Amino acid sequence: MSAVTRAYFGSTLWRGAVSIAVFLALWEFGSLSKFWIRGDAFEWLRHALSGLGLKSTYLPWIGAVPAPTEVLHAWLGVLRDPGYWQSWYMSFLRVMSGFLAAMIIGIPFGLLLAVSRTAFGIGFPVFEVLRPIPPLAWVPASIIFWPTQELSIAFVTFLGAFYTIVINVVGGARSIDVRYFQAARSMGSSQWDIFWRIILPGTLPSIVVGSAVGMGITWEVVVAAEMISGGGSQIGGTSGGGLGFFIWNSYVGGSYEQIVVGMISIGIAGFISSAVLRALGKRVTPWLHQR
Amino acid sequence: MAAVTRAEALQASATRGAITLDNVVKIYDPDRAAVMAVDHCSLDIRAGEICMIVGPSGCGKTTLLNAIAGFHEITSGQILLDGEVLCCSEKPKAEPGSDRIVVFQNGALFPWKTNLENVAFGPIMQGSLTKAGAKEKALEMMADAGLAGVEHNYPGEVSSGVRRRVEIVRALMNDPKVLLLDEPYRALDSLTKSVMHEALLEIYYKNRVTIFFITHDLEEAIFLGHRVAIMTTRPCKPKKILEVDIPHPRTYSVLTSKRFRELMEETTESVHEEALKAFDAGEKEG
Amino acid sequence: MPFQVVSDDLLRKVAALGRRVNYEKGALIYDVGDKADDIYIIVSGQVEHTLEPTAQARRPVKRLGAGDVFGWAALLEKFPHRLAKAVCEEATEIVRINGDHLLRTLETDPDAGDVVMSRFATMITRDYTVPDLIAQLRRIHRRMHASDIQGMDLTLFRFRQWIRSPRPYLMLMGFALFLGFWYLAVEVLKLPRFREMPGLTTVVKEWISPNPTYGLSIYTPEYYKHIGVSVWRVAQAFMLATLLGVPFGLFLGWSKKFKEYVFPVFELLRPIPVLAWVPLAIVMFIATESAVIYLTFLAAFFTTSLNTMLGVESIDESYVRAAYCLGARRWQVFLHVIAPGALPFIFTGLQISMGVSWFSLVAAEMVSGQYGLGYVINTSYTTVRYPTIFIGMITLGFVGYATSALVRLLGDYLMQWRTRELALGGQ
Repeated sequence: MSAVTRAYFGSTLWRGAVSIAVFLALWEFGSLSKFWIRGDAFEWLRHALSGLGLKSTYLPWIGAVPAPTEVLHAWLGVLRDPGYWQSWYMSFLRVMSGFLAAMIIGIPFGLLLAVSRTAFGIGFPVFEVLRPIPPLAWVPASIIFWPTQELSIAFVTFLGAFYTIVINVVGGARSIDVRYFQAARSMGSSQWDIFWRIILPGTLPSIVVGSAVGMGITWEVVVAAEMISGGGSQIGGTSGGGLGFFIWNSYVGGSYEQIVVGMISIGIAGFISSAVLRALGKRVTPWLHQR
Repeated sequence: MAAVTRAEALQASATRGAITLDNVVKIYDPDRAAVMAVDHCSLDIRAGEICMIVGPSGCGKTTLLNAIAGFHEITSGQILLDGEVLCCSEKPKAEPGSDRIVVFQNGALFPWKTNLENVAFGPIMQGSLTKAGAKEKALEMMADAGLAGVEHNYPGEVSSGVRRRVEIVRALMNDPKVLLLDEPYRALDSLTKSVMHEALLEIYYKNRVTIFFITHDLEEAIFLGHRVAIMTTRPCKPKKILEVDIPHPRTYSVLTSKRFRELMEETTESVHEEALKAFDAGEKEG
Repeated sequence: MPFQVVSDDLLRKVAALGRRVNYEKGALIYDVGDKADDIYIIVSGQVEHTLEPTAQARRPVKRLGAGDVFGWAALLEKFPHRLAKAVCEEATEIVRINGDHLLRTLETDPDAGDVVMSRFATMITRDYTVPDLIAQLRRIHRRMHASDIQGMDLTLFRFRQWIRSPRPYLMLMGFALFLGFWYLAVEVLKLPRFREMPGLTTVVKEWISPNPTYGLSIYTPEYYKHIGVSVWRVAQAFMLATLLGVPFGLFLGWSKKFKEYVFPVFELLRPIPVLAWVPLAIVMFIATESAVIYLTFLAAFFTTSLNTMLGVESIDESYVRAAYCLGARRWQVFLHVIAPGALPFIFTGLQISMGVSWFSLVAAEMVSGQYGLGYVINTSYTTVRYPTIFIGMITLGFVGYATSALVRLLGDYLMQWRTRELALGGQ
């Protein structure tokens, strides 16, 4: 065990573990309030709650949430269900396709705006005016426009990440130190060279940051779109699936433990995608991580 | 200030602010990389003198300053101020305090406070003056230093030369024993630098505070200092200590005097030697 | 000496103001009480300068030689008359510069003028203790900077520059292209995909119609009710998230221990998309109104806390060290250095939070809840009132932009030091 591991296990990791354990313990305690609050010892609590106009059969808010143990139990059950893994697959697919589309279209678009002042003058104001409209508000318009539901979800997903990536690319390209350009020109670079060797690598760190944020937004949009199209409103269809749909379905079906299972699953999925992205990012910008 | 009190004050300050570095050792990251930044450095800085520390970049001079100021720990040895122990092996980190105030390389005036608020900061924080009293004293001291007119500007609105001077006044408001200057004029152009030097000397002649001044500029060192300590490249240790016997008060004409040229000749080679060593070792600036 | 550090250009201008005059040995240049109009620079020779007793000079008699400057009373309003007597000790050549002209020339280059004036100030305070001198110099300083463009003038100036550049026309072209495409695709060319979409003219007509076909326009009160409901929800959630998130973030950044205990749980909950909380929120809060606000709050809270924490961590260590050096205690450093220092990041975070809040709110409103712009968009689709969808979207855009701008303006106001600094940099 190296000195690093020893140091970490000494304090930071230990403290983190303690806090998570405490968090889980409190959660368990709060969720089980629907049982222990019935006891005579807690009569005062029940009175206080009804006095405040809240339900007195469990602690407010946390009491309605399934306990960690119940969630774990449900999860172990769901692991054997192929539908659960199908949901993972579908969500990942949607996230990846939407994200990739956003990168493929967003990065060149952003670079174009950054490089050409005319393009920027024409394109950026329109972009900025459309940006405050939340991607989810586009769902109905998207459904009207696109032939299949899958495409409409993909479009909305694409939008979410697109804005972030473009903003980051434009910002990154503009912040490249002018002296790099001057140095390149004085060494005889052509316009094309300058683009490939200065602008692109110089913008790379911002692209990495933009994609990390964009990835988070993509998950949000996918989950929401899956919930909306699968349940919630009547924007319905037969195709559904995905973890968002899984959660909504669990809610409608009354298995609240599965809701939490779904939430945690998405959290893990999101974390994995971000971690992969960060690792890729590090490979692509080695100069930022040497010290 | 009445003439009598001023003379007395000057007398008193000429006897405080003596720093003793006694076999100071600093090793970074002892369990892994074990980089020795300072190797058994011993140096005596006299009360009321301007002591210039010259050395190549990254040699460890800032580490010494940080140890005196109380920002870093020392590994062994001890540092004394006027006979009192600031830090030693048992208590490796000194307490930062207003008796030794640092003027930072890139400037540390708070950008969100006006120049006046910056200058008045110390006494207000320590409670030694009321807010109104502190501001009044600050106005006086700023005018004294030729900074009338910029009190209500933010640091970001004035030139870097002005900022440096405001920072020095901010330090002096607290009547420190020692001023620790970490290459304060490094980022300034040489024209502004020359003005800064004269301004610093003016302030010194009025206050007689001990000055511990780190620089890589030998000319600056000989022009300002009573003594110049030339340090070796990492690990840091005094290689040669030069007594600058040009009398104070000094003016700019000193730069072209014969004695100045002689002193430069004596020391340039020493400094250059260390600079080459640092260059070969690929030292990164601290 | 005062002119040591000025540009050649300014020096030339100043030199052009000068007139060379020769004096013989023993000549009286001026006497106490004479009108003070010129400043004198000695080219060669020697002058004996004697201050009258009321000037409280430390050294009343001075000998001045080549390169020295005297007669500076000409620069000060309150000293229209000479305070001293100046006599040539030998044949002397002098350059005289009129005080008023010099001041006006210095005003053309206020920064250099500053240096010159402050050098004068140093020189004067070193030799004299004239009580009103400081106030005098301040007044001159202010006059010199009166020519700087400030406030409203600066805004108008920038606007004029903008209008003259190609930017506004490109912008119009961009909008024209976009709107034109929409118009053409739906109403003129009737492209296949766009058949069911409402056209630009339909939407606009509906929006501004006093009697809208589908029930919502700028003339109907329901329109404003929906806007109000959404805005009020965002306001509540945003306020709560800021009040809780900023202190939370400040502590996370400030106290290592706190971070080690709390951050792991924070990071565990953060990756869960806020909208994944919808069903659970409905279960927890029963009342959909609270659920909607909770969801919006959650999204904003995570963003605000994270950005605030990053803000604290990004503060240059020198500021903290300087504060300790100056005798501040821990809580004072927190109040005077950490909190203001993190403000720029905090406000960036708040702007992002505002965007995130609208994002979550719309989603929540679309899934559950009554009233609100998200609800409008949703029900307009299900009840086949297509133009209203677009009215909802456009309104969302406007309101979202306005609220973000409000946050940004508040930030600009609170961080005056930053706005001024950026203004000087020509941003």
